Amino acid sequence: MTQTRRSFLKTSLAASTAMALPIPAFAQDGVLKVALIVPSPAADVGWSHTLELGTAALQAEYGDKIKVTLLENIAEGPDGDRIMNKTVADGNTFLILGSFGYMNGGLKLAKAHPEVSILHASGYETAPNFSPFGARYYQGTYLMGMAAASLSKSKKLGCVGAFAIPELITSINAFTLGAQAVDPAIEVSVVWVNSWFDPASEQEAAKALLSQGCDVVFSNAQDTPSVVAACEEAGAYVFNLNSSMKTYAPKKYLGVVGTDWAPYFKASVAAHLAGTFAGASAWLGMADKCVFVADWNPDIAPDTVAKIEAVHATLLDGSFSPFTGPLTNQDGAEAVAAGVTLGDDAILSMDWHVKGVTTPLPK
Amino acid sequence: MNAVDFILAGMLAAATPMLLAALGEMVVERSGVLNLGLEGMMALGAALGFITTYTYQSHALGFLAAGLGGAGLSLLFALIVLGFVANQVAAGLAIGILGTGLSALFGKSFESLTISGLPKLALPLLSDLPVVGVLFVQDAVVWLTIALALAIWATMNHSKLGLIIRAVGENPHAARAIGFRVLPIRCAAIGFGGALAGIAGAYASTVYTPLWADGMIAGRGWIALALVVFGTWQTGRVVFGAFLFGALSLGELTTQAAGVNIPSQLLACVPYIVTILMLAVISSNRRRMRLNTIASLGQPFEK
Repeated sequence: MTQTRRSFLKTSLAASTAMALPIPAFAQDGVLKVALIVPSPAADVGWSHTLELGTAALQAEYGDKIKVTLLENIAEGPDGDRIMNKTVADGNTFLILGSFGYMNGGLKLAKAHPEVSILHASGYETAPNFSPFGARYYQGTYLMGMAAASLSKSKKLGCVGAFAIPELITSINAFTLGAQAVDPAIEVSVVWVNSWFDPASEQEAAKALLSQGCDVVFSNAQDTPSVVAACEEAGAYVFNLNSSMKTYAPKKYLGVVGTDWAPYFKASVAAHLAGTFAGASAWLGMADKCVFVADWNPDIAPDTVAKIEAVHATLLDGSFSPFTGPLTNQDGAEAVAAGVTLGDDAILSMDWHVKGVTTPLPK
Repeated sequence: MNAVDFILAGMLAAATPMLLAALGEMVVERSGVLNLGLEGMMALGAALGFITTYTYQSHALGFLAAGLGGAGLSLLFALIVLGFVANQVAAGLAIGILGTGLSALFGKSFESLTISGLPKLALPLLSDLPVVGVLFVQDAVVWLTIALALAIWATMNHSKLGLIIRAVGENPHAARAIGFRVLPIRCAAIGFGGALAGIAGAYASTVYTPLWADGMIAGRGWIALALVVFGTWQTGRVVFGAFLFGALSLGELTTQAAGVNIPSQLLACVPYIVTILMLAVISSNRRRMRLNTIASLGQPFEK
């Protein structure tokens, strides 16, 4: 008994060591193996779904020259590290890591396997074969703010947020600034649920905002239609990020700030195959065809639509940034001087709210 | 609708998933068995309840399927701890993990779908009261849960059946000596607890947050377990603890929405801290606490 188990261990150990040895970008049969690892279950909507659409575009472009493996619901941490090591051992040479928490494990893996190229969502570490990527959601939420302000009767907007991190804070600030561009008296309340995933709490948070008189709600980083469905039921306008949830709120869906990863994934895979993949931070916006707005509610008045389209054009050609001074912070102090536009580093590390956000930022 | 209305109107429904699961677990623990698999049984119930309700457009069928699923999983637990006399803590944890995994498996193709919840029923007269009137407009399951709590209280404290279950939990050998069959009684209690946990999960996925998403129980099974222990196995205290927790968790969110300057991370802890404190204060009488503690809880029984 012991003998067989030991010999089994020996063979499997040998096999896994052999598989972990460097292999060329193309496996022997000329098929590029791509693995997409995401922390949540891949559904018909949400963040994981948009990444899945990106890899589907790869599949469509390369056909049987590419094999995409989706690994969903992979916990960040040791479990994620183990699984991404295994995918490389299985011959995958292009990895897309769909969450911040995979960063350290992914970076270690990238250093150990220079032949593997890795894209990592919303991180900050870079290596020659390790590129972090993210979306400039704030460009879209600014436009949503304009629409929200034009539709709001109570002049109070709400936001259900997952965690108070810069990415979400910038989205809320831009949303507020966009709303104030239409109506300077607008106020925004924020409820942090302190969880990436808790549909019941998210729905309670949305109802709490509605009970305070908010009549347009921003579902900030919820992967399920929890907030969207609750708002539709209560008759309040609602929008969300990543993928459209219009089917869950046919009447009150304000729109979606969507992300399309296909162009970036295609360019990265092409570079990987050509051997020119270089690790670089990719923070993509409307100009990169990554962030887009869609499914606008027909209730938005034509003159507001025209205003939104005008701003949209300036975001597309890069001539306008929502974070252009003068901007005032919550305490009434000057945050950005007149004429100054915040650089990417300042936006990426934003830890303050603009004036008009009534909820103090948890520190 | 102001903040007070919001909390009053929502607290009973917010507490119902925890309360249903906790009531079932209380009966299980009173019979001397510790089932830590509550979270998994709730998850399985949530998945089965959602799938059935979605497919057949019937909440009643959904609750039935969830109850059967929860009971089925708990009977597997019963087989392990009563039949094979395994360690209850380890078996409960394993069953919990199994339930969570099964829920993800069954729910895979239903991920992020939505259904409509149940209509709210207003209690006549009471719902017309000023301020607290909103408290009396709830869906049927909330009312049934409160009725069930009363029934369980009456059964456990004022009936022969309750006395038998308690006897089995306190001293199974003595109970057996006077002619009660310990294992069947414990098995029935486990099945009852499992069914309630399944129904609790179905309430979460088909009524309270009418959508299915893997992991949506998000720790509520563990809160239910804590409520049972901190409520010292007394129905009234468990009910009080659950409603208090429901009210506080809504209060936390309204406080944020109103823009009060307290860090949200701290606010998020408040429901847990206050509920534990309140229940600890209520149960602070050491002698009564010792009287309430179930003597043979978690100990395997062999003839």
